[in-house]
Amino acid sequence: MPAGALLLALAPGAASAVSGPELDYTLECAGCHRADGSGTPGSVPALRDSVARFLAVPEGRDYLARVPGAAQAPLDDAALAALLNWMLAHFDDAHVPAGFTPYTAREVGQLRARPLVDVEGTRKQLLERAAQATSR
Amino acid sequence: MRIRRRGMHRQMHQRIDHLVETGARALARRTSRRSLLARLGAVIVGTAGTAAFPLLPVARAAENDSRLPAPSDAGLAPDVGDPTHCTYWRHCAIDGFLCACCGGSQSACPPGTEMSPVTWIGTCRHPGDGKDYVISYNDCCGQTLCLRCRCTRTEGEKPVYYTSKNNDLLWCFGTKSRAVHCSVAVVLGVATKS
Repeated sequence: MPAGALLLALAPGAASAVSGPELDYTLECAGCHRADGSGTPGSVPALRDSVARFLAVPEGRDYLARVPGAAQAPLDDAALAALLNWMLAHFDDAHVPAGFTPYTAREVGQLRARPLVDVEGTRKQLLERAAQATSR
Repeated sequence: MRIRRRGMHRQMHQRIDHLVETGARALARRTSRRSLLARLGAVIVGTAGTAAFPLLPVARAAENDSRLPAPSDAGLAPDVGDPTHCTYWRHCAIDGFLCACCGGSQSACPPGTEMSPVTWIGTCRHPGDGKDYVISYNDCCGQTLCLRCRCTRTEGEKPVYYTSKNNDLLWCFGTKSRAVHCSVAVVLGVATKS
């Protein structure tokens, strides 16, 4: 946590300020994935120390923008792209591959227009492939 | 003589019985079982509050509320500043029974219930400072419906096809029980424009 954020959190009588992608995450995602990205085992997948593993395969990158929670969030393409980039760095920087290109509004707009039909099946398959790709 | 003494004993016992019975009946008339339980509970909770170990289930969101101090409700209009009222400022998008009327508070579940970790989140404007606060509406689960202080407000709520933004749903996910008892409104932070 940056020192500024810590000071804000400790300031008596003042709740910490949330803005930009972090605010969008709090309002659109944290209800299920929780503020710390830990999720709820068996109900909601964890993002923390996990979400960037999808980036090990190209379809995994697509998946993160196409998964219903992201694609259907009431956010415009630019805000969703910023949220995804923030989420990857904030929750799972260690798994972000070297040379990662941040999502753009244009890319996200194209991806979220293609509905993901079998979410769980796709997710399982992608994580298996990502694990193989990173163990090579 | 012996007979007389027995008679005196019986009279004394009857008098004590009568005194105890009268006292118990008077106490029962003045108080209710619920108030006794409430007082007893307050003593136990108060004691545990100062102890190093928690007596009651400690909810994550309630911890958040103490870590991120909520704005002061002092000076607000009586109903807008009272967590037992539906018009309380944090309740702008709540749907359920207010935990502040059910043995809990606006940010803590009543004893014997478990706070759902999965919630829906919105913002409410504090009438004192005019800021928009991020509010998490957590259901407290594990007991039957509280049935006190029913409150339905829909500021910022979306239709049910936006499930994460709809408050008609029961939010007891990730809890041992799916039975919903009441709802809290926890301040997570203050929303600012970047």
